[in-house]
Amino acid sequence: MMPQVLTANRLSVGEVVYWNAAKGWVRHLHEAEVLADDKAEDVLKGAGVRSVQERQVVGVYLFEVRVKDGSIVPVKTRETIRAAGPSARRDLGKQAD
Amino acid sequence: MYRYDEFDALFVRERAEQFRGQVARRLAGELTEDEFKPLRLMNGLYLQLHSYMLRIAIPYGTLSARQLRKLGYIARKYDRGYGHFTTRQNLQLHWSQLPQVPDMLVDLAEVEMHCLQTSGNCVRNISADHFAGAADDEIEDPRILSEILRQWSTLHPEFSFLPRKFKIAVSGSAADRAAIMVHDIGIQIVRNNQGETGYRVFVGGGLGRTPFIGHEVGSFVAKADILAFVEAIMRVYNESGRRDNIHKARIKILVHQIGADEMRKRVEREFEEIRQSGALQLPEQEMQRIAAYFRPPDFEGLSHISPEFEHAQKTDVAFANWVKTNVHPHRMPGYAIATISLKPIGQTPGDCSSDQMEALADLMDEFGQPEIRVTHEQNLVLPHLRKRDLFALWRKLDALELGTANHGLVTDIISCPGLDYCDLANARSINIAQEIARRFADLQRQHDLGELKIKISGCINACGHHHVGHIGILGVDRKGVENYQILLGGSGAEDASLGEILGPGFDSEGIADAVENVVATYTQLRHGGERLLDTYRRVGPAPFKERLYAR
Repeated sequence: MMPQVLTANRLSVGEVVYWNAAKGWVRHLHEAEVLADDKAEDVLKGAGVRSVQERQVVGVYLFEVRVKDGSIVPVKTRETIRAAGPSARRDLGKQAD
Repeated sequence: MYRYDEFDALFVRERAEQFRGQVARRLAGELTEDEFKPLRLMNGLYLQLHSYMLRIAIPYGTLSARQLRKLGYIARKYDRGYGHFTTRQNLQLHWSQLPQVPDMLVDLAEVEMHCLQTSGNCVRNISADHFAGAADDEIEDPRILSEILRQWSTLHPEFSFLPRKFKIAVSGSAADRAAIMVHDIGIQIVRNNQGETGYRVFVGGGLGRTPFIGHEVGSFVAKADILAFVEAIMRVYNESGRRDNIHKARIKILVHQIGADEMRKRVEREFEEIRQSGALQLPEQEMQRIAAYFRPPDFEGLSHISPEFEHAQKTDVAFANWVKTNVHPHRMPGYAIATISLKPIGQTPGDCSSDQMEALADLMDEFGQPEIRVTHEQNLVLPHLRKRDLFALWRKLDALELGTANHGLVTDIISCPGLDYCDLANARSINIAQEIARRFADLQRQHDLGELKIKISGCINACGHHHVGHIGILGVDRKGVENYQILLGGSGAEDASLGEILGPGFDSEGIADAVENVVATYTQLRHGGERLLDTYRRVGPAPFKERLYAR
């Protein structure tokens, strides 16, 4: 099984965010906490559900990643695009930071 | 164009304030997301990949300069300075923030706009032929009926909780520029032997995961009866449409399951009942009142030939090329319709910046254009231009990157936002459209290939109309990798047909080559001036498959 990352969108501004137990919800994928597959579901049910109840985020879910040379690489293109911004507009999204 | 009365104006303003209250309650925790979601969707607000997306209704694709300017302003003030025109003639802003949306709705209401009927299981924003009121083959302006249907359907209590969304399109000509055959209801304005106008009504067309071409249920519905007839269809659907399975809930599935004959019988039965009660006759006076809003501008008495226009075509090749594809016959002498391509080579199909919207609004004022139209092919149209003004206009459009001469050609590609923006998508579409457009950028080659419609969807929901592309491309997720299937033989016009999948898909690096191979096969096999679609219909898929899957 693959390691996972917990993600959501900020309730208010809609921005993509990632969970890190030490820092809370963070903006960049490289700051996310990589969760072992057997722990991920617990984090979703714990921090994930709690954050939704506290109205920090909306649409919380887990996605699969690989860790390559210390960087977090999503398995699916969808998450690569969410992490960066539209591939058709490199001037928009987090890739433009 | 149609102007709101005091009730319309009050209603959209009140709706914006209601939504302000709902957003405040959501942010304060008084509403859960499950409670809030249907409320935001009633105002066209979706949650997409990067942010919230606001879908703004553009009824029958008509905008005034004032409205277009305001859209540019809203996109800049609240979003990222651009919008995306869709195949339903709507505008999407992909970077909206929840607390600001009520202000966006207030700004829209100021120019008689809103986001009603852009989501949910209701009658959606009515779409119509973008050449309405200008086309030389038009029987009657389809926007008159579209506006009547809009007023009738907005907040109609009986049709606010349908089994699924419901899309209606209206065409005023025999040429179908509104894709009426692939709508839940498609209406074609026709004239009978007595010279009376009436409506030919199709039902059960649609794309998505189960595509169908609509079936005729009324060959000539009298004008006064049209609301009763549409209501009869809606009642049959509301009563018998499935609600247990979202994928089988559209009216097309009902029509397919009970058959077109049975659907016709049920509609006629219901129609007879409504008609006998006499409740839903459309008064001639009301029709005239609404028609008055769509009265064409006062045309000058001009000659068919404009010497300035003829001269400019002879002396400027780029302009002549633009005229060849983007200028269309107008019903009045000395006038023309112009398509403004939102498909510059290598850009995102359908995107328009705030700067462009505002500059276009200025050009509308300068050239005396009260209206601009949004097309379901993701372009814009100026409907009533003097031929003598075309050259000056085109030069200004070209300076704004809005003068691309490719309407109806291979680079005039329809593309949904795909996985670059959309929560439902499985694959990107925009990058595929860009790559294909770059491959075929040579204008001489585009002209040589003639009308060739490529339509790309990033998932099976088919917002990019891939089933009705001469070449359709469907993006799928194949074990986590974007993969693209090719369909051939579709048409969304009066010769409507559904494309057929050729075979196994191609990866994102291979799809443009595959399209080149399809086009090469066509150019080898075509007879005379045949379009790719005609050649495909004549020879079938075999030679295309042979070339594409040759080992």
